[in-house]
Amino acid sequence: MAQYLSSTGLMSWLTTVDHKKIGIMYGVSAFFFLIFGGVEAVLMRTQLVLPDLKILSAETYNGLVTMHGTTMIFLFLMPLISAFFNFMIPLMIGAADVAYPRMNALSFWVFLFGGLLLNYSFIAGQVPQVGWFAYANLTSKTYTPDHSVDFWILGIQVIGLASLISSINFFVTIINMRCAGMSLLRMPIFIWASLITQILLFLSLPVITVALVMITADRTFGTGFFDPGLGGSVVMWQHLFWIFGHPEVYILILPAMGIVSEIIPVFSRKPLFGYPVMVYSVTAIGFLGFAVWAHHMFTTGMGAWATAFFSLATMLISVPTGIKIFNWISTLWGGQIRFTTAHLFAISFVAMFTIGGLSGIMHASPPIDYHQHDTYFVVAHFHYVLYGGAVMGLFAGIYYWFPKFFGRLLSESIGKWQFWLYMIGFNLTFFPMHFLGLQGMPRRNFTYAPDQGWELWNVLSTLGAYLTALGGILFLVNVVTSLIRGRQAGHDPWDGRTLEWSVSSPPPEYNFATTPTVGSIDGWWHQKYIDGKRIEPPYQPNSPKQDIHLPHPSFWPIVLAFGITLLASAFFFGKAGIIVGAVGGLVILVASYGWSYEDP
Amino acid sequence: MIARAVKIALCVLIGCSVWHVQGYAQETDLSSQGSFESPVSVIQDMRGLDADDGYFDDAPLKFSPSLSQSPMYTLTGLTDWGQEILYVYGLTTLITIIVFLSVSIPIVYALFRFRDRSYKRRTDEHPLGYDNDQELPKQVTGHMGLEILWTTIPVVLLILIAVPTWQTIFNQDRAIKTIERTGEALKVEVIGHQWWWEFVYTDYGVTTANELVLPESTPVIFSITSADVIHSFYIPKFGGKLDAIPGKVNRLVYTTPALTQQAGSPGDYYTGQCMELCGLSHALMKFEAVIRSHHDFKSFIDSHNVAPVVTTASEKRGEELFVQCMACHSIWGTPSADLEVVKIGPDLSNFGDRRTLAAGIRRNSMVNLKAWIKNPTRFKPGVLMPALELSDQQIEDVAAYIQFSTAKTPFSE
Repeated sequence: MAQYLSSTGLMSWLTTVDHKKIGIMYGVSAFFFLIFGGVEAVLMRTQLVLPDLKILSAETYNGLVTMHGTTMIFLFLMPLISAFFNFMIPLMIGAADVAYPRMNALSFWVFLFGGLLLNYSFIAGQVPQVGWFAYANLTSKTYTPDHSVDFWILGIQVIGLASLISSINFFVTIINMRCAGMSLLRMPIFIWASLITQILLFLSLPVITVALVMITADRTFGTGFFDPGLGGSVVMWQHLFWIFGHPEVYILILPAMGIVSEIIPVFSRKPLFGYPVMVYSVTAIGFLGFAVWAHHMFTTGMGAWATAFFSLATMLISVPTGIKIFNWISTLWGGQIRFTTAHLFAISFVAMFTIGGLSGIMHASPPIDYHQHDTYFVVAHFHYVLYGGAVMGLFAGIYYWFPKFFGRLLSESIGKWQFWLYMIGFNLTFFPMHFLGLQGMPRRNFTYAPDQGWELWNVLSTLGAYLTALGGILFLVNVVTSLIRGRQAGHDPWDGRTLEWSVSSPPPEYNFATTPTVGSIDGWWHQKYIDGKRIEPPYQPNSPKQDIHLPHPSFWPIVLAFGITLLASAFFFGKAGIIVGAVGGLVILVASYGWSYEDP
Repeated sequence: MIARAVKIALCVLIGCSVWHVQGYAQETDLSSQGSFESPVSVIQDMRGLDADDGYFDDAPLKFSPSLSQSPMYTLTGLTDWGQEILYVYGLTTLITIIVFLSVSIPIVYALFRFRDRSYKRRTDEHPLGYDNDQELPKQVTGHMGLEILWTTIPVVLLILIAVPTWQTIFNQDRAIKTIERTGEALKVEVIGHQWWWEFVYTDYGVTTANELVLPESTPVIFSITSADVIHSFYIPKFGGKLDAIPGKVNRLVYTTPALTQQAGSPGDYYTGQCMELCGLSHALMKFEAVIRSHHDFKSFIDSHNVAPVVTTASEKRGEELFVQCMACHSIWGTPSADLEVVKIGPDLSNFGDRRTLAAGIRRNSMVNLKAWIKNPTRFKPGVLMPALELSDQQIEDVAAYIQFSTAKTPFSE
């Protein structure tokens, strides 16, 4: 067994259970899928630059709409966030690894195989065309007779399983494995955001899992849960989907908020303004996030009382969100603001997220939503939240923690080029969409008529998309060149506030040579600054005094993940699927057995 | 001016790449591969239908002068309900702009005022370029008063938005209940189909498609549903949208706007469109709402149940050929209307009076109608209507029959 215990080479990555390696693999996969999602976006913008273009067929365009949304949410944002969870949670709470390292490896491989299964639809030539929300009964056997929508259903089913596994893992890690002195209200705010995110994940994912089982049963066995002809309800799918889908939005934004709340204090050289209130706001957003799902359904005719309730609940979310925004501004206020690339991205997060939040308040009011729903105004809104918000926040995190991941700094000058290309490109793409929405341009249309007066905004929007794509390419260039000859980072290049900056970059396999202790929020900062005077930072020693037990590598997680994906793909083979499914089940059994009897 | 220059530059850029790719596609014949067409293979023409069709009429539709800019502009609110929505809309927009300024001004000010002035060149020793040994700024951890302030102000602003919001929701609810009780409104059933609209005037037993004729200044109650998947019924200039859901009936009430146009024209045209992704040609599921005077509306209802008038020989031949269309389409007063089957295609009883064809996507003219009959999927991918095996002369005849025999021009001159 010893040959795959080596710490380098391909085998070490396939069998690793080290949270840092798994984190890097999550990040790399996320950017791999971002290329798909980005190219899809650029193609769509090209098709829409002028009216009546035929660069893409209706079929291709509808496929790209579906795959762009699904890819960006499930295969780019979620794994990238997972990369941060993996790499940073143990380091920030002073732990050696996550609670269940092999489960961690399992969730990565399940995610990767699920993503590949979903994208296999391109190779099979049956790309799902029902939107990332896959509203019934367009997904029924009658209206989608081919397998295209099955790729979406089963892909999401498998990917969802990965998130479910990892959410339990991180939840337990945060609750149980914090270092001495780190009480709940001394945790870094990113850890708080992560904790709430895990709760949202494991409460919302089972709903979509069940809904996907129901739609699979509808399609495969003709059960009719969502078939009005058989007494089913198509609106029920929307409820189930959004009971998952709305918390999902907060799953994407809360970690970014956490990252930004870490970065702004560091580069303002001040503690986070109103830490306890920030914690309560994150928690409040998390819980309210479960009471607002039907604001995606105001136009389905739910009845006046339901509409009024979900409208009010949605508006309420803006209160904790507003508190966070003003607290970030107050953190900047009176500080020594340093314009590093990471900080630029973090500040732009606050600004862009505010715009997205304000347009969100507009369609929280159902009468306004009756106009804006399914127009480009909504496209503008959620891109301001998820792109100007989540993605900008995550890029801030990448520029901030890249030196911790790899020991070298990303180039600040290329970084700033990327930042400005992103800011200008992003706003040029999505701000005009507000106007398109006001002019009534519908979403998810593969073309539009020339007599509508929409040309100018569409041209600008497409131009912006190209600029952003250029920014994305610059980022990849930055990563590659910086990995080769970037500036050495040292332990603590930014004068950070949290524990990860006390270890070397990249951190050793065991993370902390001596168990850290914290006495307050920003524990690491207070070990460097005594009464406002900087002393020589007490970095972690280079080698541990005694042996630190680390879990052994294992190849069972990847085998088990393969078995799960094989089982899911059984639905593509008709009657022969029984055999494929049986093989998949057998692989799962063998892998679980092997896993159980492996050394700890 | 600049916008126009940018537009032209971009058109040229894209035009060149399209032309280049098109040549490549022809060389390698990518178009024959697979059902999921490669993006590069489908390019035939930059705009509209294929040039080799020869006949395609792209003349723009005319709207009344006051409505011509941006036919789907949402901030118009021409009905009572639309007006109520506009009030909430305006108020909310105002509040969000105030909040935006109260966030963005402090951010911009802080970024200038509180920037770290110790920046020097970045070196290996100081990779950050900033001085970590300078005196720290005042270490503020929070301020209870301020935090209470920015909790309460948003709550007050939300109440300002929520109250008129709720009023609008419940007013509409009350209006629907009142009309359901009294029945004092024009009842229109709206049925969404992949990808066209069916309108039934239940009081009159009249069915029409893709052109919703309404009398001016009249309360209307719409009963909206779907025959297949979920659609969404939306006339932006009148008010909001409501989904057409299979197995469910949604109701919507408003009073139609007054007629703005001079007598002698068929009425005021407003664009409507399906707003919920409903399959391949979702983008091509439009319709037009026409506001007419009470007199003209009555003529529409009366003339609807008048059999087509066949005058020319071509129309006569077309009438015979129409037997092939009967399984899906009806024309009142012909055997097609008596056929005891569920018609899956639009009713064509007054087709000649309609301004558009193929669910509002093209102008209703002979050239477009012939092109449509010749190859419907060219217009609308995935459409159920097949391309029948007809000669060009036969297409001409059928088109003449559908176009001219059903035109009843009942309007007051």
